[in-house]
Amino acid sequence: MEINNINETEKCFDEDSSNIQNLEELENIRLKYLGKKGAITDIMAKFREVPVELKKEFGIKVNALKTKIENNIEQIKADLASKQIEREIKNTKMFDYSLPVDTKTGSLNPRTIIQKQVVDIFKNMGFVVEDGKEVETEYNNFESVNVPKNHPARDMQDTFWLNNGELLKTQTSAAQNRILRTYGPVCKVIFPGRVFRNEALDAKHENTFFQLEGVVVGKNVTIANLIYFEKAMLKSLFKKDIEVRLRPGFFPFTEPSYELDARCPFCGGRGCHTCGGSGWLELCPCGMIHPNVLKMAGIDPEEYNGFAFGLGFDRLVMIRTNLDDIRYLNSNNLKVMSQFKTKM
Amino acid sequence: MKISINWISDYVDLSGIETDELVKRFNLSTAEIEGVEIKGQNVQDVVFGKVLSVENHPESNHLHILKVDVGSETLQIVCGAPNVREGMVTAVCKVGGSVVAGKIKAAKLAGVESQGMCCAETELGIGCDDDGIMDILEPVTIGQNIKEVWNIDDIVLEIDNKSLTNRPDLWGHYGLAREFAAIFDRPLKKMPLADLEKYNNLRKISIDIDTPNCYRYSAITAENITAKKSPRDMAIRLNYAGMRDINLLADLTNYVMLDLGLPMHAFDNNIVKGINVLESDGSIKMTTLEGEEHELPKGATLICDENKEPVAIAGIKGGLKSGISDDTTSVLFEAAVFDYANIRKTARKIKLITDASQRYEKSLDPELTQFALSRIIYLLGNIDAGARVTSSFSDCYKYKYPTIKIDLKPEFIGKIVGTEITKEYIIKTLNAFEFGIEDQGEKLIVTVPSFRATKDVSIKEDLVEEVARLYGYDNIVPQPLAFDTEPQNLIPSIEYEYDTKLMLAEKYAANEIHSYLWNYEDFNTQNKIATKAYVSLLDSSNAGQSGIRSELIPTLLRTLDENKNTYSDIRVFEIGRVVSGLDEENNCIENKKLAVLFASQNKREEELFIELKTAIVDIAKNIMGIDVSLVEGDTVQYLHPINSFRIVSRTDDYGYVGVLHPEVKKSIDKRFNVVAFEIDFEKLANTKAYARKIKSISKYQDVDVDYNILCDENLIYSDLQKILSKFKNKIVSGYSLVDIYQNKDLLGNKKSVTLRYNLSSFDHTLTGEEIEKFRADFVEFINKSGLEIRG
Repeated sequence: MEINNINETEKCFDEDSSNIQNLEELENIRLKYLGKKGAITDIMAKFREVPVELKKEFGIKVNALKTKIENNIEQIKADLASKQIEREIKNTKMFDYSLPVDTKTGSLNPRTIIQKQVVDIFKNMGFVVEDGKEVETEYNNFESVNVPKNHPARDMQDTFWLNNGELLKTQTSAAQNRILRTYGPVCKVIFPGRVFRNEALDAKHENTFFQLEGVVVGKNVTIANLIYFEKAMLKSLFKKDIEVRLRPGFFPFTEPSYELDARCPFCGGRGCHTCGGSGWLELCPCGMIHPNVLKMAGIDPEEYNGFAFGLGFDRLVMIRTNLDDIRYLNSNNLKVMSQFKTKM
Repeated sequence: MKISINWISDYVDLSGIETDELVKRFNLSTAEIEGVEIKGQNVQDVVFGKVLSVENHPESNHLHILKVDVGSETLQIVCGAPNVREGMVTAVCKVGGSVVAGKIKAAKLAGVESQGMCCAETELGIGCDDDGIMDILEPVTIGQNIKEVWNIDDIVLEIDNKSLTNRPDLWGHYGLAREFAAIFDRPLKKMPLADLEKYNNLRKISIDIDTPNCYRYSAITAENITAKKSPRDMAIRLNYAGMRDINLLADLTNYVMLDLGLPMHAFDNNIVKGINVLESDGSIKMTTLEGEEHELPKGATLICDENKEPVAIAGIKGGLKSGISDDTTSVLFEAAVFDYANIRKTARKIKLITDASQRYEKSLDPELTQFALSRIIYLLGNIDAGARVTSSFSDCYKYKYPTIKIDLKPEFIGKIVGTEITKEYIIKTLNAFEFGIEDQGEKLIVTVPSFRATKDVSIKEDLVEEVARLYGYDNIVPQPLAFDTEPQNLIPSIEYEYDTKLMLAEKYAANEIHSYLWNYEDFNTQNKIATKAYVSLLDSSNAGQSGIRSELIPTLLRTLDENKNTYSDIRVFEIGRVVSGLDEENNCIENKKLAVLFASQNKREEELFIELKTAIVDIAKNIMGIDVSLVEGDTVQYLHPINSFRIVSRTDDYGYVGVLHPEVKKSIDKRFNVVAFEIDFEKLANTKAYARKIKSISKYQDVDVDYNILCDENLIYSDLQKILSKFKNKIVSGYSLVDIYQNKDLLGNKKSVTLRYNLSSFDHTLTGEEIEKFRADFVEFINKSGLEIRG
């Protein structure tokens, strides 16, 4: 009789649990069978009434049923939960993933970005990085770098002279004397900075622009070393091997003096807009430091020598960004300047 | 400068060398070639023709119908030239041929058939005369192709003048030919010259030099000159080299200048008979050949005649009165050398930069005067057989450059280049450039030729260049340095500069700007911004402004002004240099400063101010490791008198921050709330950073207790902190600001400041009694301090 009751209960449970829609219904079923006043408790209460010989079978069956109910309820609970998630997913509205976003990033002047790249390259090559003043004495800007009196560069037309007798430095070399005195006679130093030329502005000419200058001084420095450094620097800058060529140039502070051209990295030398069709970019004025410059910095040119080179940041920026008017770099036109963000 | 390869070929045989190779090797060994023009390419099928008849065109006022004999046939040609006349010999381009502008086709002009074109010089690209068709007076064969008679085919190279700055010897074809000869290892021919010694018995021209700025003046005279026009080939060369042909005597002086690089001048010998070279006292005026009057500044060098009347501005331009004209039959040729700086200065002062002055500026070789006069007499004799020399070579040689000899150890060159270069190669190369060499075995004694000795070559490093540029830089194998230097740290102001810029751009969404070093005075005045300039530019024509800036914020304000109609939120910054004063020696004191400006139409001033203060503290603390704070104090006129503050650390004052002065704000744009700060960036970067160490934390549980403290609404936080600092309790590890609440209705003139006290101990768990004691003590302290704790 009691055994039949167990079977009956199981049947009822199977029926009850076959169509549960939510957790509430499930809880009701749980209480109906497993609660303090539930079916299982009722059955257990009748244990005493079960004849001795059937007690064992009865016990096993009740426990099996209890376990089954517990397991089924857990299973149904899990099923309900995943159904719920499925429903939630189904009801989710797709975002407009195409909406534009604002990174709220400001911007650096592209010269700053280039300068950082170039400075990092030279730091990796063991160079000291220095800084220079913008107002300089006539001595530092001219005399100390072997620009003689009456040299055209000293004219009003080329130099911004100040009413106290000083001037706005026309070349980063103005810092050479101080730097050689500070770090010489064995040193590798670069010094980026802003330079000024008293000339009329147009799309290709600015009166205020950025350059970098580097010097290497030591014993037995050669033109072969100079070419090595320039190639290494350009390789790092353009991220590929760059063929270079030296052409004779003339600067008072170097002897011999060169213009270093790089095989145009954009067209590989076939000729393009950037290189003006020539296949070469005139990038770095350079040369072996003039013995007079070393002497004026207190370095014996018979014992030490070295090379110096320049690099125009503005030109690099224009090459890299397609900027067609150099004047933008000093303009405070945020429409143009804010396009650069912090990388290039 | 333009150079003609035909002309160069007078002195060195360049046959068999492609133009590309010429250009490439010259570029790599000597100077930059900016352009190549192939001359005569478009001139095809142009022959000498004779105009047989000229009829008026029935349909046109200015056109004529010509019958032109071109040898093989007679052509009907419609021609618009005003100078056409019967019997005239001219250049005719036949149908199917071409001129500079393009192909010539048979065409109808105003209804009449034309079978060719009569050409002007300009149409053939060989001259500047475009007043009409060519009027050929020299004997020619009708029907012959003009190219068979005239040297029209040529290659013209344009050399970048800047790359010749230090090479006075390359301002003429002969010097350039010397380079080509050396580059291609071909012999340099001698320049044909007249032997002037045969005139030694003739009278001497009186020449006196009374200025140190004339190194040498040489002259010679000739008479009975009847030829008026230059031979066609000479005229073509002058035109190809960028000059015009004028008349024979003027052309001859130009031709020799383009040959040797030494400018020459021709005076009418009937007007100028003797020469005095003098210095202007500043009171003299002269009218030049072009008819322009110039005041001759003090110190300018003047060529004067025997009566000391000025007849030319030395090295720059001849005078009108004494100049040669088409009627001149006797001439005085000048070949002289002047001080380069003096010529340069005068040319700049009177704003007259000429082919001559450009060459003198380069320091010409005084030895050239004799060559130049020998050359011009040679050429004159060839062109005008009747011309007669009437004076000896007359010469006043005041300053002779010393001969330069350089001791050169042959291995020195290879040592600098970085590859071995043999002594034989060195000697051969230097010889090709006409350096003299005495081989003493261990060393060479090198004599610099006079045309390189005026300032270009003086030391052994100069010789390295001479050899290396011919050796070829392509032949040098790049090599790393044989030594290395010790690793170095960045200077703080450089190290932090990029970090600061990046933080401002990335975290504070600000844009970096670079502005000029000068103040925008108009903008500043207009917007009532007072800013100082300790120095100013002497010549500000290219800058537009003269005062050098001493502050950055005014430029940032100008940037705001320029962008205010594009954006409603503007954040800009600059790290730049300013001149903040003058030292005892009157030299500029320069500082590297940082200024940041936030402007917004959407945010309140106070909000902006707090954001800006955050940026200041962020940069100082998180980049440089320095704690800065704001204190009350004077700032600048264009900031708000109340809401502007000094930025300080425990040791230093760095600058100021504040809200824009209402008057300036109104003037620029009242829609914008504006805040800005400016600091001495270098000073901040160089301030000693605090040691960045991890603070140890207690292993026992800590407790946070919040209090709402009621105080006067005008009590600033730092003053509240001062009061609270007097409260001592050993379980308090610190407190922080949670919130400030103000509500007139609820709190009246008070505000509620919520503070969170953190209680902890390093050696035990806090007991209830300890915490209770803290609470009681704190409440008592607050009440005693005249503050209140709000429920």
